[in-house]
Amino acid sequence: MDEEPERAKRWEGGYERTWEVLKEDESGSLKATVEEILFQSKRKRVIESHGQVRLGMMRHLHVVIDCSRSMDDHDLKPNRLTSTLKLMESFVDEYFDQNPISQLGIITTKNKRAEKLTDLAGNPKNHIVALKKAVTTLCVGEPSLYNSLNLAIQTLKHMPGHTSREILIVLSSLTTCDPANICELIKTLKALKVRVSVIGLSAEVRVCTVLTRETGGSYHVILDESHFKELLMLHVKPPPASSSSECSLIRMGFPPHIIASLTNQDAKPSFSMSHLDSSCGAGLSLGGYFCPQCQAKYTELPVECKVCGLTLVSAPHLARSFHHLFPLAAFTESPVDGLQDDRVCQACQGELKDKTAFTCPSCRSVFCVECDLFIHDSLHCCPCCLHSQSPP
Amino acid sequence: MASLSEEVLLVLKKVRQRKQDGTLYLMAERIAWGPEGKDRFSVSHLYADIRCQKISPDGKSKIQLQLVLHTGDSTAFHFSNDSTALKDRDAAKELLQQLLPKFKKKANKELEEKNRMLQEDPVLFQLYKDLVVSQVISTDEFWANRLGDTNNSDSSLSNNKQEVGISGAFLADIRPQTDGCNGLRYNLTADIIESIFRTYPAVKQKYNENVPHELTEKEFWTRFFQSHYFHRDRINTGTQDIFSECGKQDEIGLKSMVVQGVKNPLVDLLSLEDKTLDEGYGVCTTMPSTSNRTVKDSSNSAIIKRFNHHSAMVLAAGSGKGETAGDPASETSCTDGNSRDSDFFQPPVKKVKLQEAIEYEDLKKEKKPKTIALNLKKSDRYAHGPVPLQSQHYSTSQDIINSLNYIRHEMVNYKPNLTQVLCSTTASSAIAALSPGGVLMQAVTQQAINQMVPTDVQGELKHLYAAAGELLRHFWSCFPVNTPFLEEKVTKMKSNLERFQVSKLCPFQEKVQRQYLSANLTGHLEQMLQTAYSKFHVWQTRRMLRKT
Repeated sequence: MDEEPERAKRWEGGYERTWEVLKEDESGSLKATVEEILFQSKRKRVIESHGQVRLGMMRHLHVVIDCSRSMDDHDLKPNRLTSTLKLMESFVDEYFDQNPISQLGIITTKNKRAEKLTDLAGNPKNHIVALKKAVTTLCVGEPSLYNSLNLAIQTLKHMPGHTSREILIVLSSLTTCDPANICELIKTLKALKVRVSVIGLSAEVRVCTVLTRETGGSYHVILDESHFKELLMLHVKPPPASSSSECSLIRMGFPPHIIASLTNQDAKPSFSMSHLDSSCGAGLSLGGYFCPQCQAKYTELPVECKVCGLTLVSAPHLARSFHHLFPLAAFTESPVDGLQDDRVCQACQGELKDKTAFTCPSCRSVFCVECDLFIHDSLHCCPCCLHSQSPP
Repeated sequence: MASLSEEVLLVLKKVRQRKQDGTLYLMAERIAWGPEGKDRFSVSHLYADIRCQKISPDGKSKIQLQLVLHTGDSTAFHFSNDSTALKDRDAAKELLQQLLPKFKKKANKELEEKNRMLQEDPVLFQLYKDLVVSQVISTDEFWANRLGDTNNSDSSLSNNKQEVGISGAFLADIRPQTDGCNGLRYNLTADIIESIFRTYPAVKQKYNENVPHELTEKEFWTRFFQSHYFHRDRINTGTQDIFSECGKQDEIGLKSMVVQGVKNPLVDLLSLEDKTLDEGYGVCTTMPSTSNRTVKDSSNSAIIKRFNHHSAMVLAAGSGKGETAGDPASETSCTDGNSRDSDFFQPPVKKVKLQEAIEYEDLKKEKKPKTIALNLKKSDRYAHGPVPLQSQHYSTSQDIINSLNYIRHEMVNYKPNLTQVLCSTTASSAIAALSPGGVLMQAVTQQAINQMVPTDVQGELKHLYAAAGELLRHFWSCFPVNTPFLEEKVTKMKSNLERFQVSKLCPFQEKVQRQYLSANLTGHLEQMLQTAYSKFHVWQTRRMLRKT
C-alpha cells in the first residue's frame, strides 16, 4: 500500500532511485529471475561454441539504425538515439578489433526512406566520425525496413561469394512503412545469402521474427542499456559459415614496413594513396607500407589497395583470429562444497562465493564464474596453463 | 539523304536558311533543311541536341524560327512563303513544342549529372583537368570509367528513385493547428499530398481536372478539408461540393470489396458462427437473426465503414505494383500467416496456416543451427610461421636472456683498464652515431621532408598522384586479361600511362630540378609506373609464347 505514493513520486521526479529497485529485488521480484535467465544463456553460449566450426571471417556488415520518431523516447538515457550511437561507436571499435579483414557500413532510416551514413569500408575512423555527427539528427517519421534492406542489398550483392554478407538492424519503432511487399524482399535476401539480424528496442515485431528466421539471423529485444551492449557485442563474433558459401583462395599482400631516412640514397618521398584527398594529415613521408603488386604507398594496415585492389594486411591481423581455429575447451563445472583445499579463485584471487566453480581440465586450477566467462570471452587461454609452462 | 525508315512528320516549302531557298523537313527524331533543287540536307539537327526554339515577335515582317542547340550554336529559318508563312511557322513551332520535351530529358540529364559531379567534387574536377584537358585520355573514356563506377554505388540516384510506402496514419498526421482567430491551419507536405493521391485516385483525378485552370492549389486543398468528404460523418450535402462524386465512387468501391469476400477462413468473421444442431437435428436451417439497428449504431457503422475503406485503399495503393494476382507458390513458401492473401486459398496453404495457428515456436525443442565442422590439416603449422627453405639460425628467447645475464654480470665486475680503451675520436663518433639525430638513429627522429619541399610543389605532386592513381587503377583492373575487350583496354591504358609520363611527369620533374630541390620527388611515381610497365611486358611475352 505504501508503495503507491512512493511510485508516484518516482514518476514525478523523473529519475530512478536505484535503491528502490534493489528493494524489489530482495523481495523476489521478476528482475532476479530474468537476470538468472540471461546468465544461463551466457554460460550456454560458452559451452556450445566449442568444437571447430567453419566461420565466415571476411565479413561485410551493414548496420541499419532506426532514426524514426520512436528513437526520441527517453527510456534509454538521454534518449534512445544518443544511447544507440554511443554503443555503436564501441561496437565499431570492437568489430574491427576482432575482424581486421572485414568491412562495415552504416545506413539510417527515417521518414519512410533510407540513406547511407557511411559506405562499406575497412577503416573505423570514418564510421566513428559519422556516428558522432549523427547525434544531432532529427528523429522524425516512420522507418522503412524495405527501403533500408534494399539499399544494403545494392552493395552487398556485388561482394564475392566466400565472404559473409550480413545486415544488423537496430529497430525501435513498432511499425514500418514499405512501398512493396516485404515477403518478396525476404525471398531475395535468402537467394542472395544475406543474413539479417535484428535488435529490437521496444518489443517483438512479427515481421522481424519472420525476417530473421528466414535468413538465418538472430532476433533479440533489449531489456536495458547493459543488455543492449551485450546483444550488440554478440554480433562482433564471426558467425558460423553457412553450408552454401563457397570457399576459395584469397589473395593478400603482406607489405613490410619500410623505414627510410634522408641520408639513405634510395629514399624516395611519396604520398600515401589514402591521404591524397585530405588537406590535412600526413604529407610527404619517406617510409610506409608499399603494396607488393603496384608499389602504391599506405601509412597503415589493413587496407585495400586503391590502385590494384589487393588486400594488404600484416600477419598479426590474421593471427588475431586464431582463437577461433583453436578454441579453449570448456571448463568443468563442479560444486564449491566438493573442493577440498582452497576457496580462492586462481585468477582473481577472490573468494569463491558462488555455488559452482570451474576447473581447467589441463592444469586443474579453479576459477570463479566471472573469471571463467572472462577467460572464454576475451582471454582465450587459461592463465595458469601459461604460467606453468616449463622453459625449454 | 534521309533514310527510308524515317518518318516525315511535316514538310514546309519555301523556307530560307542563310539566304538560300529550301524546304524544311520535320522527322521523327530530327529536323532537317535542304536547299531547293538539291537532294541532300545541308542542315540537320537531332531533337536531342536542341535546347530550345525561339520565334520572331508577331509584329515583325520577317517570320523566323530559331533553334538553339545545347552547344550554343543557333540556326535560323526564315519562312518566306507569302501566303502561309505565319501558319507554317506556327505549325512547325507546335510540332517542335510537342517533340522537343520527349528528347530533352535524356540528353539534359546526362550533361547535368556530369556537371554536377564536376562541381561537387573538386578532386574529380582536378582529375578532369589533368587528364582530359591535357589530352592524356579522351573525354569519353574519362566519363565511361567514371559513370560506370558510380552507377553501382551512386547514392544520389538511388535516393531520387526510392519508392516510399504509404503510412496508414497519413491523414491523422496532418494535425490541424488553430491559428488564433477561429481558423485551422493544415500543414501539407509533399509526402502527404503524394499519399493522398495514391490512396484516393478519385481525388487525384479531381485535382488534375481543376488545378490550375479553375482553382489554385491552395483553394483546392482548402475545399478538400472543408468538404464533408474529409470529415468523419459523411452526410451528403448535395452536388455542389466537387468531392461528393468522390464519395459516391468510394461507396461503389467499398461495395465491390465486400462482395469479394474474405478468402482466409481463419479470418472470415461471417463464417464463424456456432453451428448447432437445432430442432430437427440439422434438417431445418436456422436463419441468421438480424439485429435491430439503432441510430447510434448507424453512425458508428458509418465511421467503421469509413475506417475499413481507408485501410483497404491504403493497402491497395501500396500493393499496386508488381503484385501477381494469385501466386500460389508464394503463399505456400512464405508460411508466416501473412494476411496479404492470394485469391487462391488451396487446401495445402490452409493446412499450413492451421498448423501455424496451433503451434508455438517457444514451446518446441530448439533447433540448433547447422554448422560445418572445420577441417584443419596440419594444424601445427599454425603454431609457427612458414618454414624458410634454407636453415637459418634463430636465437631463442632463452639465448637472449642468457646473453643479457652475461652482460649484466660483466658490467658488475667491470674494472676499467685504461691502457686498452678506444681512442677518443672513435669513441665520440660512436656516441654521436648512437644519440638521437645520429646516423644510426635516423629512423626515430621526425622526418623533416615536409618542410623541405614547398607547399605548392607538394600540392602539384598530390594532383599528379591522384591522376596517376586513377590511370593505374584502370590498368590494374584489366588483369587477369580474359576477354579481347580487356586486352584492348590494357594496351590502351599502357599507352595512356606512357603519355601521362611524358606530358605530365617529365615537365614536373624538370621544374623541380630547376628549383634545385635535391629530393627525388617523382621517384616513387616512376617506380609505380615502371612496375606497371613490367607487368604489361610480362603479360605480353606470355601471350606471345601462348600464340606460338
